[in-house]
Amino acid sequence: MKKQFLNGVRAGVPVILGYIPVGIAYAIMARQAGFTLPQTCGMSVFVFAGASQMMAVGMYAQGASITAMIITTFILNLRHIIMSVCIMNRIRNESTKIRLLSAFGVTDESFAIFTTEKEENISIAFFLGLITSTYTSWNVGTLIGAVASDILPELLTASLGIALYAMFIGLLVPNLTKNFKLTALVVLTALCNFLFTRFMSSSRALIISSLLCAFIGVFFVDLEEDTNEQS
Amino acid sequence: MSSLEAVILILGMTAVTYIPRAIPAVLIDKMKFGDKVEKFLKLIPYTAMSALIFPGVFFTDPEKPVIGIAGAVAAALLAWRKCPIIVCVLAAIGVDFLLYLIL
Repeated sequence: MKKQFLNGVRAGVPVILGYIPVGIAYAIMARQAGFTLPQTCGMSVFVFAGASQMMAVGMYAQGASITAMIITTFILNLRHIIMSVCIMNRIRNESTKIRLLSAFGVTDESFAIFTTEKEENISIAFFLGLITSTYTSWNVGTLIGAVASDILPELLTASLGIALYAMFIGLLVPNLTKNFKLTALVVLTALCNFLFTRFMSSSRALIISSLLCAFIGVFFVDLEEDTNEQS
Repeated sequence: MSSLEAVILILGMTAVTYIPRAIPAVLIDKMKFGDKVEKFLKLIPYTAMSALIFPGVFFTDPEKPVIGIAGAVAAALLAWRKCPIIVCVLAAIGVDFLLYLIL
């Protein structure tokens, strides 16, 4: 149990490199927009949704109403319904209470790590360890940005922008090396999303392209063969 | 921002963030998936991750697309060689750091 928790914490380490600079950036934006230090940190403690928080403080700076900020947050977070279904399906034997606690930690990053982890490593303790890493780093980043805006040199902050993308690539690519059909599906999704983002918001495009392409994939991708080779 | 406004905003955002995450936690007991749906759910991580990477990675630095592309290529090459994820992440950061020094 404890070992699995620690494995989860460790699996979350790559996220730290991404969350801390984004947390700092969010907090700087929030302070500049007129949020106090407790308000800036409080939002990270309770909301724990990077893209939404950035969006909200950006909207506030432009004079948006509170209602508009909340509605935008809701739309931005609809994708988490899908991600949460995938996560909950892997921990469906846990009690509802534990699942409701885990639900708080559902983010793009925890979803990506947890759902691509090998079956035998999966457990509730692993997930709780993972979200301990992500939640802590998000709040540490926020705190750093809220108290000392220019603690990181600009060159380093800019370079850290690639961190979360590199993590997604690091999670995705090893699954593709032996599975040509899955690779084809991933390329198809990328093209779809490229196209859709031209016509709609990127969060809606993500929902449509990932659902549509997973549906298409059901008919031609072979997953079992790949998982056998992996283990 | 006034305290009252902030409390309303934070509570509202907490609710609309937590509810979509929590709905599946409650309803998963009632959801029994057939083989086809299980497969669909197993494919979502791959399609969702692809959509999280593309096209966003090209706009890592909106003024310099090469930053996103170079970092992504570095990460992908190492991931292909089955390097640990943290190595991919650090290498991508390193490549971008060097590029910023040169450019």
